[in-house]
Amino acid sequence: MPQPTSSNAALPDSSGLAPGDLVATGMHIAELGIYGMVWLDHQLVSRSRYGPLVAFIEIDKPVTDSVVALIGLEDDIAALARTEAPVRLLELPAVAMINPDGRAPRLNFTIFWLPAIDRFLLLVYKASSRSDIEVELTRQVRARLIAEAEVQAKSRELSAANEELAIANRDLEQYATIISHDLKAPLRALRYLSDDAEQALRAEEPEKAAAAVTEMRALARRMSRMMSALLDYASVGRKAEAVTIVDTRALAESIAASLPRAPGLRIVIDGDWPEIVTLEAPLDLVLRNLVDNALKHHDRDRGIVRLTARDCGAAIEFQVADDGPGIPAAAHGAIFMPFRTLGGPAGGTGMGLALVSRTVEAVGGTISIHSEPERARGTAFTFKWPKSIARG
Amino acid sequence: MIARKIMLLGEIGVGKSSIAKRLVLDRFEIDYKPTVGVDVYQYVVPDEPGRPGMRLIVWDTDGNFGDAIFRHVYMKQASAAMIVGDVTRTGTIDAMCRLGMEFRDAFPGRHFSYLLNKHDLLQPGDTPRLPDTMTGAGIPLIRTSALTGDNVKDAFRAAADIIQRRAS
Repeated sequence: MPQPTSSNAALPDSSGLAPGDLVATGMHIAELGIYGMVWLDHQLVSRSRYGPLVAFIEIDKPVTDSVVALIGLEDDIAALARTEAPVRLLELPAVAMINPDGRAPRLNFTIFWLPAIDRFLLLVYKASSRSDIEVELTRQVRARLIAEAEVQAKSRELSAANEELAIANRDLEQYATIISHDLKAPLRALRYLSDDAEQALRAEEPEKAAAAVTEMRALARRMSRMMSALLDYASVGRKAEAVTIVDTRALAESIAASLPRAPGLRIVIDGDWPEIVTLEAPLDLVLRNLVDNALKHHDRDRGIVRLTARDCGAAIEFQVADDGPGIPAAAHGAIFMPFRTLGGPAGGTGMGLALVSRTVEAVGGTISIHSEPERARGTAFTFKWPKSIARG
Repeated sequence: MIARKIMLLGEIGVGKSSIAKRLVLDRFEIDYKPTVGVDVYQYVVPDEPGRPGMRLIVWDTDGNFGDAIFRHVYMKQASAAMIVGDVTRTGTIDAMCRLGMEFRDAFPGRHFSYLLNKHDLLQPGDTPRLPDTMTGAGIPLIRTSALTGDNVKDAFRAAADIIQRRAS
């Protein structure tokens, strides 16, 4: 749409047409309803209009009364009169202002500032109308996109559910083994002890009966501890833990300060310990159990437990290494299983490393052991703790 | 009566146009017609104690814009946004959450709500899984049904209340 000009000369590209011909052509197109024009004053009041396409715009009223799509844009439109940019226009394409009957033509709105006549010009023209076939194609393409996205989402959900099911099945199998094996033995012992107590009472030997009852009580306490430990183990990864900023060095130092140990055993903290956003309690549990194990199972008066950390990109690699007696390779597979102990101090349930391993796995990490007591003393547990936590 | 511009944003097919039609025309159309460009509706939220009536200019946008909508002229001077997801399609809920965060960054201080639409399609006891960032962030989370009209008008009335409070 050429801008109005005050010159009477034909425009350079008009092939000899007089300005009057151009105006007549423009008027004809506007009268056909292909476009319409509205002239606005500085207050954005419609002062005149041309063409049936803009017949809905009321004269001498703010243009926003008729073109509600311009509400909120008043400042942007007013700014066109103040800028020095060569092209001063604001375009609002493909807008349908829905009537109470639910229908409306889709229109493009372009507003120009015309300094020569000190007016804004609102040019309104029909947005390219789509054929029924195009609309149907658009509808079908979108329906397909929706269906594909839905299939992908369902597939991800199914895959996650299958993984959870596999873990649940593995857990169930493990708990069945634990209950049938590890808890059956003390139950059998309880039965024998109760038989002993009964026989002692019949034989009027109260001291023997009392001794059997004392042993039964100790066994019951041990079973209770085992059950509690088993419940803790089962709940790993299922508690709603809070993610927080953790200063890993401060955490390691607080663990080192809190654990009892022989005076000759030192804890050394080395490496690069960053602040990470993670689950603090589970990380505390893992580090604390590993350090506590290293201290408890050390067989000498003097020794070092060394804690190191390093950034591995997607994860932090922590290591707890000691110079204790080491763990034979044959036992490496079993130490992470529940209720497995390698001897050492009495009173342990054999759940410490099982809890450690399960906790690391629950956050998407990995843990490994390195120990070759036949070649050198010491054991090193290394675990990778992801920076981004996998939530169960 | 003051007029405020409010955007309806969300993935394609989540029911933005159905919500707008339910709000303004009080009807639901079974036949799905994709929005191309933008449809602009007017809805007057009636006077209430403490808040004068408000004319909401509701902009129902084309879901194909995705995140690019925030750079479009359509968004200029928007006072608030209703960001819509389809409770039966988890992907649209994730997209709703992303759009919410983008809106917060692009229009700091402006109000927005999440509309969990098509609530009527859930079976009793079904609970949609929502991203962690969506819950507990103080952003209104409203379950709507354009089919039944549940909560649609309430959602826009609540938005008008907040727009008014923030302006005063």
